[in-house]
Amino acid sequence: MKRLQENRIDQISKYLQAHKLDPELLPEILDHLACEAEESLWDGKPFEQIYRDMVKTADAQTLLNLSVDHQNLLAMEKSLNDIVFENRNKSYGAYDLRKGYGQTVQRSVVMGVAFFLLLVMLPQLYARLKPDPKPDDIAYIVEANPVDIKMEELPKPPPVEEEIAPAPKTVKSLTPEVLPDELVEIENLPPAIDELENAQPSTETVDGIANLDVIVPPVENVPSAKSEATGVEPKKEETFTAVEQSPQYEGGTEAMAAFLRKNLKYPRPASQAGIQGKVYVQFVVGSDGKVENAAAIKGIGFGCDEEAVRVVKMMKDWMPGKQAGIPVRVKFTLPIAFQLD
Amino acid sequence: MENSTTSNEYVRGTLKTIVLNLLAEHDRMYGYEITQEVKDRTGGAIALTFGALYPVLHKLEQEGLLLTESVEVDGRLRKYYSLTHRGNETARTKTNDLERFIEAVRLLLAPKNLATE
Repeated sequence: MKRLQENRIDQISKYLQAHKLDPELLPEILDHLACEAEESLWDGKPFEQIYRDMVKTADAQTLLNLSVDHQNLLAMEKSLNDIVFENRNKSYGAYDLRKGYGQTVQRSVVMGVAFFLLLVMLPQLYARLKPDPKPDDIAYIVEANPVDIKMEELPKPPPVEEEIAPAPKTVKSLTPEVLPDELVEIENLPPAIDELENAQPSTETVDGIANLDVIVPPVENVPSAKSEATGVEPKKEETFTAVEQSPQYEGGTEAMAAFLRKNLKYPRPASQAGIQGKVYVQFVVGSDGKVENAAAIKGIGFGCDEEAVRVVKMMKDWMPGKQAGIPVRVKFTLPIAFQLD
Repeated sequence: MENSTTSNEYVRGTLKTIVLNLLAEHDRMYGYEITQEVKDRTGGAIALTFGALYPVLHKLEQEGLLLTESVEVDGRLRKYYSLTHRGNETARTKTNDLERFIEAVRLLLAPKNLATE
């Protein structure tokens, strides 16, 4: 197929434009006419004749009708705005505003109504979401964790370092006391000189370090000879429970047992009831050896307790207990057994 | 010339159906192709002028029955037309309508004694 030359196509195009064909239609009509012309060229017609024929068919009236038809077609779609803005500057902004006006109004109405409804419904919504507190509701929950209260540990006073003074070697050496003859005991002999050679005098004989540099003063409670020299009763009325020398019944345990056997009488109610057991009688042996405050601290009843106390009170003086050689009051507990034969 | 003008009178009413029917037979066609097709198949009895054809094509396009695509051929923009789904249906109904109408016209044009026979 013969191609139409560029300049020929331009010629047709100019002809169409000259007759004010709608620019939107131009390419299509141009193509159509060009195709027709090429067909005619194929048939061997000279272009000049073809062009004349073309102008005859595509006359001014036909082209005008085409344009008008097209405009009418478009007009059916066009809105009022398009007609108002026909041949005006559409990019200025007013056209866009007018075009989007309907949409804008619709959107704003929806938003406005939604906002208003929300505003009106807000209290109800809030009330629905947050129910009224019931009177028995617990307002606050305080979680109580068990609190460990620890006694603030008082800073321990630094343990008083009991200066256990390295016990120096001592030899029991009590200051000789001036006592009535019958009270003098043989055991409290002063130490021999040679014993004191390497030791210090003390109340006890301790096998300590022989030659200690530290000169330890003699034990304080070593009674001075003077205070007791006259054999006067010690002022101390303190009652001891344990002393170095516990009080003794005159004549020893044998003598005491015999005394008890001789004096104790089995109370009738007890023997009738068949009661037996031990009665603990507590008493104090005074520094003078007298038995005081005798009382049954634990008994078996049925007259046994009273009997035991009675006999204990009958006892003659004891040898008093001694602390550091000084007779002291000593609390003494004596168990007395009642036994049926 | 006489022939073509008289035929144009009838063509005007049926042009829409003719175009739809042709497009239903082809994938896509451009304006000149349609006129050539019509000329070839009718032996030149019906000649479509571009002045009549294009307004119809544009109208059908606006109605949503046709789709267009522009392809550059030989340095010129060629506009191809094809049927939409809805255009297919319309083509079928309009063709049926036209056939029934032609039948009816044939009955009317037939001599009266033949028709009654």
